[in-house]
Amino acid sequence: MKVEITVNGEKKIADVSPETTLLKMLRDEFDLTGAKLGCDVGDCGTCTVVVDGESVNSCLMLAARASGSEVLTIEGLATFQKLHPVQQKFEDLGALQCGYCGPGMIMSAKNLLDKNKSPSVDEIRDALAGNLCRCTGYTKMIEAIQEAAKEINTTNAL
Amino acid sequence: MVTRNKDLQKTTESLLKKKDSQAPSKKPVSVPGDNPVIYPLDLPESDARLQTPAVGARATRPDGRLHGLGQTKYIDDMSFPHMIHAKILRSEYAHAKIISIDTSAAEAIPGVLATLVGDEIPVNTFGPTFQDQPVLADTIVRHKGDGVAAVAAVNEQIAADALEKIKVVYEPLEAVFDPQEALKDSAPKIHGDKTNIYTSKIIKKGDVEKGLAESDHIFQRQYSTQMVEHVPIEPHASIALWDGNGRVSVWSSLGRITLGREDLSRTLSLPQSKIRLIGTIVGGNFGGKNEITNEPILALLSKKTGRPVKCVFTRGDEFISSTIRHPFVMDYTTGVNNDGKIIARKIKLILDGGAYCSWTGTTIGKGSILAAGPYNIDNLFVESYAVYTNKTTTGAMRGFGAPQVCFAYESQMDEIAEKLGIDPLELRLKNAFTEGSASPTSQQLQSVVLKESLKQASDRFGWKEWKK
Repeated sequence: MKVEITVNGEKKIADVSPETTLLKMLRDEFDLTGAKLGCDVGDCGTCTVVVDGESVNSCLMLAARASGSEVLTIEGLATFQKLHPVQQKFEDLGALQCGYCGPGMIMSAKNLLDKNKSPSVDEIRDALAGNLCRCTGYTKMIEAIQEAAKEINTTNAL
Repeated sequence: MVTRNKDLQKTTESLLKKKDSQAPSKKPVSVPGDNPVIYPLDLPESDARLQTPAVGARATRPDGRLHGLGQTKYIDDMSFPHMIHAKILRSEYAHAKIISIDTSAAEAIPGVLATLVGDEIPVNTFGPTFQDQPVLADTIVRHKGDGVAAVAAVNEQIAADALEKIKVVYEPLEAVFDPQEALKDSAPKIHGDKTNIYTSKIIKKGDVEKGLAESDHIFQRQYSTQMVEHVPIEPHASIALWDGNGRVSVWSSLGRITLGREDLSRTLSLPQSKIRLIGTIVGGNFGGKNEITNEPILALLSKKTGRPVKCVFTRGDEFISSTIRHPFVMDYTTGVNNDGKIIARKIKLILDGGAYCSWTGTTIGKGSILAAGPYNIDNLFVESYAVYTNKTTTGAMRGFGAPQVCFAYESQMDEIAEKLGIDPLELRLKNAFTEGSASPTSQQLQSVVLKESLKQASDRFGWKEWKK
């Protein structure tokens, strides 16, 4: 079946079988391998992308369901000139170790900051509740998101 | 800035100057509409990566940039032309004889290119300590995670469907799941017909019975810990290509590539010079990716089909088939004087090894040596046994047995402190290793700052106030 979708601002069309998930379509049809398959049941969050302004486990969403939607993946965050503040702060603070959870974690954080410019630590924890990291613990990530929020607020970077 | 010599200082200065003068080029690069996207961003270069004294300089993770961009290529992000996908059928029983395996119905499915069973593997055993584990079980399955057959198909869905068409006839055998049951004479034997104990260790120091007899108090308790799966967010994944020149290339999320190459060489009966094992960035290891799993299967499926073959474990495979942390059953008997001085400690450890040995040799060694804790104990006896059970194979995991015994000895320290009315911190300080202390195996320890660390830590988090 044909799925028309806007990914990172670009219109794309794919011909996929009905059981294809959004994650599989992004990875296999569009070569956007940033979002990962971790658990395939919506527990780990490494497949997180933003669909029409909501962070979504793309392993649980059928590609067909996303038809007509605007999808933002990790590949669409940085511009040629600049990293997104969340990416920059994750890097500066060493918030990622193996990095496998990173794309999902950053997308959840980005979506949080889009909706809430000054989140509390509890709100950050809540936003990351669907993203599992097995390497670091979450302290550095929370710090990085706070730093990113500061930067966005002071420089109006977005 | 302190530099060790003038030359280094010069190099440092020139490098730093160079770094400053090279303003990052911000020219947008035109890229075609499709990915992969190339980001013309300068990689971070911390002072620690220049010719400067690294101590005191801030280090930046060299791979952090690509992680954050989602551009790091893990195995599942790699693909090759004509690549196909493999799935592995797991056992239906915890313990059973395999009577027959019929893969013909699976092979008849359009899109299935090859199947593989255990007796097609040149040397069907592997393992980092003992080679007691089959790549694919061919005569006996010893736990539910044992693979019995593999399918390679043009996509994962067809491979998964084909698994359901494989007919395996089993003759179920009595299984044993409790390591203490497995020690009994009447227990079914999992390897061979003599015993389920496959490795053991004894450490003796002083005279433990005399020490216990002379102690004012005896504390005795059994502690146990559970199975723990590493759950790396990236499941085990690998790609194998057996090329026309008879050379095998394997890309794998494997932590120990040289050991992996040895195991591949052994199982495939190929000289190591014909095997290239490429360890890529690993999406979480924690000890669980220290040995081969499906790599020989993929190599042989590639040989049969002439195609690169990829296999990514499902989360289910990950839980039942990859190794886990050893559950321990730990009997601790400790003799203590009225003042809190530990006189003697007698320990028995039973390691639930699961179906195969894997890294048990390392785990039992480290677990036994550390079993008494970081305390000066003159009279010590530690005996440890690793026992086969029909459960998921236990192997390496962060600490190799250290966390399990730490739970036991520190729990007992708290019980001793409570019973004797001694501050738990004081009890530990009283018995703690100091510079030059002898370990249970009589290693003279150096750079021991245990007491200082305990004191500083307890000061910082306010142990005294917290206790009130």
